[in-house]
Amino acid sequence: MNKYIAYWGERALLVLISVVVLFPIGWMFLTAFKKPRDAYSLSLNFEPTVQNFVTVFSDPWNLGSMVLNSVIVAGATVAIAVPCASLAAYSFSRFRVRGRKFLFFLILSTQFIPAVVILLPFFLMFRSLGLLDTRVALIIVNLAIVTPFVIWMIKGFIDAIPTDSEEAAMIDGASRLRVIKDIVLPMAAPGILTSSIFCFILTWNEFMFALILSRRDAVTLPVGLVSFRTERGDLWELMSAAGVMITVPIFIMALLIQKHFTRGMTAGAVK
Amino acid sequence: MAEVRLVDIEKKYGSFLAVPQQSLTIEDGEFLVLLGPSGCGKTTTMRMIAGLEDITAGDIQIAGERVNDKPPKDRDIAMVFQNYGLYPHMTVRQNIEYPLKLRKVNKAERARRVQDTADKVELGTLLDRRPSELSGGQRQRVALARAIVRTPKIFLMDEPLSNLDAKLRVTMRAELKHLHHELGVTTVYVTHDQMEAMTLADRVAVMREGRIVQLDTPKRIYSDPADLFVAGFIGSPSMNLIDGAVQDGRFIAEGMDLPVSLPDRDEVVFGIRPEDLELADGDTPIKGRLYALELTGESTLVTMRAGKTSVCARGHADFEAPINAPCHLAPKTGARFYLFDRATGQRLDG
Amino acid sequence: MNERTLSYALLVPAFVIVIATTIYPLAYSFVTSFREWDLTKQLRPSGFVGLQNYAHAATESGFQNSLWVTAIFVVTSVILTVVLAMSLALLLRRTGRLHTFTRIILILPFAMSPALIGVSYRFMFNPEFGVLAKGLGAVFPALEGTPWLANPDLAMAILVITDVWHWAPYMTFMCLGGLASVPRETEEAARIDGASNLRIVFGIILPQMKGVLLVTAVLKTIFALKMFDQVVTLTGGGPGTSTETMAFFIFNVGFEWFDMGYASALAWILTIITMVISAWYVRMLLSERKMATA
Repeated sequence: MNKYIAYWGERALLVLISVVVLFPIGWMFLTAFKKPRDAYSLSLNFEPTVQNFVTVFSDPWNLGSMVLNSVIVAGATVAIAVPCASLAAYSFSRFRVRGRKFLFFLILSTQFIPAVVILLPFFLMFRSLGLLDTRVALIIVNLAIVTPFVIWMIKGFIDAIPTDSEEAAMIDGASRLRVIKDIVLPMAAPGILTSSIFCFILTWNEFMFALILSRRDAVTLPVGLVSFRTERGDLWELMSAAGVMITVPIFIMALLIQKHFTRGMTAGAVK
Repeated sequence: MAEVRLVDIEKKYGSFLAVPQQSLTIEDGEFLVLLGPSGCGKTTTMRMIAGLEDITAGDIQIAGERVNDKPPKDRDIAMVFQNYGLYPHMTVRQNIEYPLKLRKVNKAERARRVQDTADKVELGTLLDRRPSELSGGQRQRVALARAIVRTPKIFLMDEPLSNLDAKLRVTMRAELKHLHHELGVTTVYVTHDQMEAMTLADRVAVMREGRIVQLDTPKRIYSDPADLFVAGFIGSPSMNLIDGAVQDGRFIAEGMDLPVSLPDRDEVVFGIRPEDLELADGDTPIKGRLYALELTGESTLVTMRAGKTSVCARGHADFEAPINAPCHLAPKTGARFYLFDRATGQRLDG
Repeated sequence: MNERTLSYALLVPAFVIVIATTIYPLAYSFVTSFREWDLTKQLRPSGFVGLQNYAHAATESGFQNSLWVTAIFVVTSVILTVVLAMSLALLLRRTGRLHTFTRIILILPFAMSPALIGVSYRFMFNPEFGVLAKGLGAVFPALEGTPWLANPDLAMAILVITDVWHWAPYMTFMCLGGLASVPRETEEAARIDGASNLRIVFGIILPQMKGVLLVTAVLKTIFALKMFDQVVTLTGGGPGTSTETMAFFIFNVGFEWFDMGYASALAWILTIITMVISAWYVRMLLSERKMATA
């Protein structure tokens, strides 16, 4: 009897957790397909429409350009941060160089810095350089957020790769750079891919910098959400449609790396 | 093919002295085994030869050339790792081919040599598999093939058999021995398994706490151990080592009374191999009660106890007796025994 | 190129990025924090004013309020997140189809944009047509018509809920990672010795999870101290100033009042608070590790 309760209790709990996790997401998805009139009712009995998506992609909302901005900013940030971070992570992981601990601590400690403290100087610098409301500005600030984190994450992955294969390659006649190219990169590829996706997610969702550094041309999706607050009130059905656009690509990526997720996160942290 | 000379080499990690200053010469074509318990510095010594660890002091010469500052790739060595160190993202063929590729050997030649080598280690049919699709023994062969596909000056092998199961280890051991005979390349082999050392080596260097305590042929290491440590480390089952004292030309311990040629002293360890003891009747120099019988197949290991003294003898496979029965042991005629100082481990006889 | 040069060369690109995008701006804002610079009146900073900006922070009520708001937010969200994450991890470490499904969908809240989370909770707690507001009202009639986000305490509670919803799943993964390294044998030995489930959790598992839980707590604390996104999209800092976290307040000082000197000083105070708390955690972690290895 007790066992029976425990068994079903555990399953009921799991269902409850799933509902808590999925409900807000599901409700947003439903609302995105509702007519404005239905959005304000709680009825599940509505005629689905894609009108909201058509609306957000046309004037004056122009979600298309925001999608483009988000893709370019997140893509460029990953393209710059991940290669640089991978090289540094390899060096931190494999060489016993002087000052290594200090340098690594320096990198890590930048993670403790609240973003707002560097937001002010960036705003001032970009203002005088005429870079406000450009994608370049957003890429630069996102590098600040993402680079130390990616170094830490990839180092965790490289640490977990045994050194045997690298040493074997060196003895087989490969130079260190050749070892990195032929052995380390292919072996660390899943970790580097996971870190890249992670980095993409962080940049894609970044809000504070984009809120202040973009106005019209470089607006990214999360900031775009705010523009659906109008004098006529919050346009929930449009917000939800935009929300779907923000989440779908990220959800797909997140589910792709789900398996590697724990490992990457804890490798550096727990050891 | 080449001779390897380690001249006054030393290795420190910070203030920790891993390998104290010492020298070692490995003859051209020799199969030398570095033997010792884990943490004794044998792997460190091999890695210094490979160039994977810097040396703190001294010189390493390969074929008469000083290689201290040469990176591993320029030392012309091949190495087999304990965990094989295969390239998991490459096929067996690519794994074996990699050292040739790095040496810019042309494609046709590469293909031919890979096939030859693979056939030699019986991998010919597995060339397109990935390491993850192979068994432990097959992986071991890939590592071996990768080492012998080019003809290096020296082979280094770091516990290459330790990840295999017992049966496979014996087969691979024979293959390694045959391969060395065939190729005649100077080989340095690290192991903690004294059986591997005895069967494979031309010479064995027994190491302890970073130091080579005895460097000799397997035969002499077995029959003439330099000290208590080597005596206890070599042989299976290991040598009986009995604490006692010498009084009036006799070694005395609980259950033991045996003539020896040594002046009187306390704190003596008496050593005799189980093979050199036999079961006897009547008034033998070693007496006690039967403690355990272990049939190994070709013989029975008889363990006898008297107080603190425990002695093991190799007896006939048919031997049977009830546990706790009185047990009498005597050295066989011509048996060797050894006397050591208990504190220092030094040999006191011979 | 020898190994040594190479090892440093590999670090160069990353360090160029970190220096240019973090160290330099940090220094810039540090210097600015000692100057007077009202962007509405002057394009360039005027002279140094010593510690005046910092002194102002000690007395100014808006900042005092944000300190208090942040403290409440950090404490509640860290405790709730860590406890919830650990419980979820204990529940989810078993195998089973429902377990696996739950583990997979747990990654979704973390991947969701925090700004969007704020927006959707704002929608769901709208007293007139929010699904949660209405739903709660239907189940508990007393709650019908509660102006959720217009009540200071409830607004704070909802802010905490959105944050826990966002982070607890992620922290669950960290705890699961930690649980995976707790040897099964000790647990099985305890079970054979006759320990109850509760005893096993508190007596065997949790003591071995101390390190992981500390790391989780540090990370969550650091993230909570930066809380900004949902404040903008969920409460707007209100009602009144009841959910104005430090990051939000500093943002306003900088970009609503354009007082760059004061905003920089406040940002540095937040940085120092974060550093001190992190250092404290790190010390606990180190002593914990020493005890674990001893």
